[in-house]
Amino acid sequence: MDNDPQTPHEPAAIPTPEPISTPYVSTTSSQTTLFASLAFAVILLVFVFLARRKSSKRGNAVLLVGPCDAGKTAILSTLVYKQTLPTHTSLQTNSSVIALGPPNSQKTVQVVDIPGHPRIRDQFKEYLAQAKAVVFVVDASTVSRNGPAVAEHLHRVLQALTSLPPSQQPPSLLILAHKSDLLKSTTSTTNSEQLAINRVRTILERELEKRKASQVGGVGMEGLGEDSMEGQGGEVDGLECSGGVGFRFKDWEGGEVGFVGSYVRVGRVAEVKEDGEKGEEGESGLEALEEWLDELA
Amino acid sequence: MLDHCSISHKGGVVLWSRSFTPAASHLATSPASPVNSLIREALIEGRTTEEKFEKDGYAVKWTFVNDLELIFVVAYQRILQLTYVDDLLAALKTLFVKLFEPLLATFVASLHALSSGKLSISSGFGGDTPNSWNFAKALESWDNVFNKLLRSFEEKAAQERKSRLRPMAPRVVADEPSTPPSEDQDTAPSQSASETVDEQQISRNVQALKNRLRGRGGKRLGRGSGRPESVHGSYSLPGSDSDTPSKSKRKKNTKEQRKWGESAPTESDMAALDFSSDKPSANGDDAHDLDIQALVDKASLGTRTQDGMYEVKDWEFGKGGGNDSTDDVISRALNTSNSKSTPAASTGSLGALGSLFARLTGSKVLTEEDLQPVLEGMKQHLMKKNVAKEIADKVCEGVGEGLVGKKIGGLQTINAAVRLALSNSLTRILTPKTSTDLLLSIRTKLNSPLPSTQQRLPYSITFVGVNGVGKSTNLSKVAFWLIQNGLRVLIAACDTFRSGAVEQLRVHVRNLSMLGMNGAADSKGRVELFERGYGKDAAGIAREAISYAKDNDFDVVLIDTAGRMQDNEPLMRALAKLVAVNNPDKILFVGEALVGNEAVDQLTKFDRALRDFSSASGGAGKGRGIDGMLVTKWDTVDDKVGAALSMTYVTGQPIVFVGTGQTYTDLRQLRVANVVQAILSD
Repeated sequence: MDNDPQTPHEPAAIPTPEPISTPYVSTTSSQTTLFASLAFAVILLVFVFLARRKSSKRGNAVLLVGPCDAGKTAILSTLVYKQTLPTHTSLQTNSSVIALGPPNSQKTVQVVDIPGHPRIRDQFKEYLAQAKAVVFVVDASTVSRNGPAVAEHLHRVLQALTSLPPSQQPPSLLILAHKSDLLKSTTSTTNSEQLAINRVRTILERELEKRKASQVGGVGMEGLGEDSMEGQGGEVDGLECSGGVGFRFKDWEGGEVGFVGSYVRVGRVAEVKEDGEKGEEGESGLEALEEWLDELA
Repeated sequence: MLDHCSISHKGGVVLWSRSFTPAASHLATSPASPVNSLIREALIEGRTTEEKFEKDGYAVKWTFVNDLELIFVVAYQRILQLTYVDDLLAALKTLFVKLFEPLLATFVASLHALSSGKLSISSGFGGDTPNSWNFAKALESWDNVFNKLLRSFEEKAAQERKSRLRPMAPRVVADEPSTPPSEDQDTAPSQSASETVDEQQISRNVQALKNRLRGRGGKRLGRGSGRPESVHGSYSLPGSDSDTPSKSKRKKNTKEQRKWGESAPTESDMAALDFSSDKPSANGDDAHDLDIQALVDKASLGTRTQDGMYEVKDWEFGKGGGNDSTDDVISRALNTSNSKSTPAASTGSLGALGSLFARLTGSKVLTEEDLQPVLEGMKQHLMKKNVAKEIADKVCEGVGEGLVGKKIGGLQTINAAVRLALSNSLTRILTPKTSTDLLLSIRTKLNSPLPSTQQRLPYSITFVGVNGVGKSTNLSKVAFWLIQNGLRVLIAACDTFRSGAVEQLRVHVRNLSMLGMNGAADSKGRVELFERGYGKDAAGIAREAISYAKDNDFDVVLIDTAGRMQDNEPLMRALAKLVAVNNPDKILFVGEALVGNEAVDQLTKFDRALRDFSSASGGAGKGRGIDGMLVTKWDTVDDKVGAALSMTYVTGQPIVFVGTGQTYTDLRQLRVANVVQAILSD
């Protein structure tokens, strides 16, 4: 919510230095050239401004958010390069354009992968204005261990989504139970993806319920500065449900929450990489996600 | 020697990596890998200026290429003193960028596609869309280059070490008793050289050392099969057939040595002593053959042996191993990069006009010289805002490191670029990495299920700090806030030193219990003071307080401690004992916003002392450090809020609360954006 006031400034802030450029270029030329170039700059500025406006309105970005080691960058690399590259903790945001649907189709979507480290994860707010969808990636194999941390992250995302200005159509939210292949399915009837989804949903609902309960009746502390009330008020906002005290994703007032399971396999051994069989294997795990993205576009 | 080496994009995609030991390769794929720890605990925290990062017995060094957004990381065992790692990193950097620049540029561009209209068309990979990029194939030549480069560095290092040890060897000869070769096998190289008896053994040890070094470098290629044989070959007992030629040589050499005494060995001496180069002596050949078997597969054995003949000694790029084209590539790339630095400087001196055009076309590359004055200004500015000098230095240096080599587009001035980077960096440092929601963690602890036999422990918070920063005052503010949230609070008066400390808390408790809560006229019974007078052991009082709270169903225990100087060791030990005995849920360091350079010293020493002494004294709270900070007297500093930055930078822990005034309600939560703005404002 802190970044919200800044985003509208951004398009305006970048073009402003533009007029300064004209004196540099045309100090030696006559006055008419100066005038013409000024006019040209103004027109250019308007165009740039309009283009930015339009693109930000349309919102064509899919944000990949989620805690560290969930597999966001691996998903991105699988989507973009059709092969799963080994990854480590990201230092900065990645943003790529991928084609959706059948080959040669013109449908494209911008995928933004935001690092999950607590110190930089709030960067996702900068991209929310152009977001069409937010995919919250959870490592299904470790979620039972670090449920509270994951829930805290998800809470911030939910909070940011609910506090978007009403003029913007809220992006759809998908919770991706990733690394479902690492879960050992005990019963043969349920496949591992369904198991992963169930586990992630149960744990997150439980943790979010806890968070919600701790806010109820609590007197929050004011933040520094004037905008303090907005921040604290927003804490509870993100978790409002239509029915009852608890938290259920299906009752969440912020909109519908989708659940999809997925996995990718990083080609760890060099020989496998050369064979190319890894590529096909890696793709299959993301089919459900691709389908979901396809429906969006 | 090395354990792991990787080349990756800052966005997290690993372009190339290699582990040299099974343990390292296993570790590298786990979230706890040295590279991941480096990024999480050093790079994201803004600690990029430090020389190296140490974690779990690994030392990690790194370097950036900012315009291509690459990180080069090398990890090795911390106990090894590898001198060549810096050079290796520099060479890797130049070579990799040189060899794969177009490819890398398209790769990076593909990760920065902002316009959703079209797919970026690649050129470096040959394919049209990113789908068809084959990273393994594109980078396959790099493996070879890397091998050569690494080997050359390792050999050079080994040679240097040997030449350092050489003059010492003859002196040790007389007084050092003979040690059986079997014991030598696993001692460090430096020791094995000093424990020698005569030339023969020197030569053998040198050979063995070399084999070992080489064996380690090529461990990846399967050292298991060749190793036992090579050990046998090089350590074979005197009297075996292979030793006969060198025995005769020894006689001659010892004579000559006596003649020259302590003076430096002659050229011929060195040549005679140097068994490392491939002399056609039986011993050397034998060992070498086995060594090479360990290094390469059988198919390429023949050419390798030939190659090996050239590789020994001061191996230079382009000279050795003429039949391999990778050497040429390496030497060419390194040479051009060396010569390139001069033209780059000359274009820089072309004048303001050139740089102006460069900037207009958006290709102005930031250099260290460009940044220096701006960074200096920023540093002064930070210090004016009461940021500790040390921290200001480090932060600015880190910002500079992240900017060198970057292109600044359009008409963005250097100043603006630095400012933006600094603002990002400050936000990153100040943003907490652990939850600061105290209420939630209290509730979580209180509601967590317990075995029925166990009684619920209260949530305990210890306040520590130097004298007169406002520990007691802010403790009472926190108590007020907790009471307002419906929790029962016990205040433990563990300041048994300063006169009036207990009375001060008693007054606070009286006040707090008279203040209403949620409509109730007063909050009697919600807050109590636990005191045992003065001069007692604080740790004992705290323990009693916690057990009292447990029995009387209190939710939170706030432990007030006596203020102490961070250099006063007896007092710090006492504090550490309190922490170790009671293992509080949170240890809050209370510091005043007025503090300047002192902040660094206070926090490091408190943190250090708590960790060291509490781990020494055992108990449940072993090795605990500071969990968070409470910054007081915030209202007195206006916008000179640099202390907040200093404190968070030093510990990496969040500022939980900020004290802003004299009444119980004057406690605030830190807003990062607010602080960043205050620090950057003029």
